[in-house]
Amino acid sequence: MTPWLSACDQTPRWQRDAYIRPKRSQVAILGAENYHKPLRDVIQRGIELCRLETRGKRVLLKPNLVEFDPNGVINTHPALIEAAVDAFKSLGAREVVIAEGPGHRRDNEYLLTASGLYDVIKQHRVRYVDLNNDDVRLTALKSGFTHFKKLYLPETLYQADLLVSMPKLKTHHWAGVTLSLKNMFGVIPGSVYGWPKNALHWAGIDGSIVDINSSLPLPRFAIVDGIVGMEGNGPLQGQAKHSGVLVFGADLVAVDASAARLMKIEPRKVKYLEMAGEFLGNLGLEQIDQVGETIDRFQQDFRVIENFADIKKLV
Amino acid sequence: MLDQALNLLLSNQNRDGGWGAVAGKHSNTEVTALGALALRSAGADAAAIDKAQSWLSQRQQADGSWPLNDSAKGASWATALALIALSEVPEQRERAVKAGNWLLQQEGGKPGVLAALVLFVTRQKSAVRLNQDLIGWPWTAGNFSWVEPTSYCMIALKKIKQKLPAEPFQERIGQAELMIYDRMCAGGGWNYGNAEVYDEKLWPYPDTTALALIATQDRRQRNENQISLRTLHELALKADSGLAIAWASICFALYGQDNSAFKNALTQRFAKSQFLGENKAWALALLALGDGARYFRV
Repeated sequence: MTPWLSACDQTPRWQRDAYIRPKRSQVAILGAENYHKPLRDVIQRGIELCRLETRGKRVLLKPNLVEFDPNGVINTHPALIEAAVDAFKSLGAREVVIAEGPGHRRDNEYLLTASGLYDVIKQHRVRYVDLNNDDVRLTALKSGFTHFKKLYLPETLYQADLLVSMPKLKTHHWAGVTLSLKNMFGVIPGSVYGWPKNALHWAGIDGSIVDINSSLPLPRFAIVDGIVGMEGNGPLQGQAKHSGVLVFGADLVAVDASAARLMKIEPRKVKYLEMAGEFLGNLGLEQIDQVGETIDRFQQDFRVIENFADIKKLV
Repeated sequence: MLDQALNLLLSNQNRDGGWGAVAGKHSNTEVTALGALALRSAGADAAAIDKAQSWLSQRQQADGSWPLNDSAKGASWATALALIALSEVPEQRERAVKAGNWLLQQEGGKPGVLAALVLFVTRQKSAVRLNQDLIGWPWTAGNFSWVEPTSYCMIALKKIKQKLPAEPFQERIGQAELMIYDRMCAGGGWNYGNAEVYDEKLWPYPDTTALALIATQDRRQRNENQISLRTLHELALKADSGLAIAWASICFALYGQDNSAFKNALTQRFAKSQFLGENKAWALALLALGDGARYFRV
């Protein structure tokens, strides 16, 4: 283990038990042309390729519902969430719950209805938990990339067995990319930290992403919605970019590294991925076992805003 | 619908007298403050109202603030809502004034010299187009000012302005109003508090537009208020949301406009979704359908 050291005081920035980087990580890449074709089987295959154990578990699906724009592609598509509900149920999950703490809007009824997720919840009779207004528990952080030593986390996280991050494949105007790690901003309760999760921004977006992901109290898995992603001024105002791909894996750093490569973005140049790659998961191509399809087959050139031009230089 | 919403709200009242976001969640200050007002507005059983008000009064902290709930015990933005609720109770007005004095001392922060220096040195253009020197109220201590907490604080302080020291009141409210107008979206209305990012416009929300308009109801002749009222009218008419329609209805009542279409829309929406079982939306609907707008009059 090589702890990431502070430039000034040489103190390791994470606790020993926060170090979870495996020797190798498996990431599955599967094609999915559009949202109209059945997606359950693709998701089931992705889960099985990653050998994820789901039987008897309470599974929490965490999509990206930060905001809604009828003309945009901000959110994880409801058809994909619906297919994930189906797939996890088929694979023997005890319960599937959808949970999100939207970053901008406080109006859940509007967001769920407008995004189409309300129909999924109603039709499949799944529970939806508003993580912004859940009961909270003060949780000690296992890394120290921000001034936070503790964060309030939603109780629902403590009652689940598996947290599935379901982000959209997007570029991001503050962080470079927003994928399964950044998607975890949505578990931080707005009732405590405000909207648009401003306390995290002020503490440093990159450090906050790492501190949250090092300290979540349950195992994780990721399913990235790259059927239609977003390039340019993401996460809200970018342009739609069709990629026809889904990315799966239990090492969220490796999943995000592969997803970044799918966008022709160098993961080692995305600050928070580099930090997370030191102790939370694998960034290097040589440590990732790519299963399913190859990156080359679905790779697209996603535009980024000028400030992030450097992350487009693949190494 | 009124009776049904009232019964639902009463059945979701926790044993301690407060309400959580939905049934089964622990009581919190935001929903309990609105719930207490809703019960008063609907003429509910006095015992239920007393329990809700007691929940609030028992949780005021020594400095005058309220915590978010019994788990997150630090001073919170929900103080403004507790103030609004208790300012309606004659024997609790001292608590409201204490809270008002606490609110006057709280202010939003600025990104700081370092952030400005980084932008200058790296020749980056500022991503957002807003005046960072205008201070309102943040969600959390020391953070940036945003539209919703600033609106709650303005409503709360304006309601008890006669009991507050005049100079700090004028200074804080004056600047908060400037901040609110500075954050208005192009064409009127407000979102969480940012109208533009990297030269691309962001869009307004009905709930925060209504709140900003309620907070500036004593400036109703201003052009910003008038165009934002029109924006709210458009947004709320197509809103699939009890929360949005209820805030809009309360806002139009305070501006002396006919809100009967919104009351009808609220009833229809309730029949369709029951507002997802959210206690806050039920409370706001009761306030909107009854005479609850008066609690937000400044």
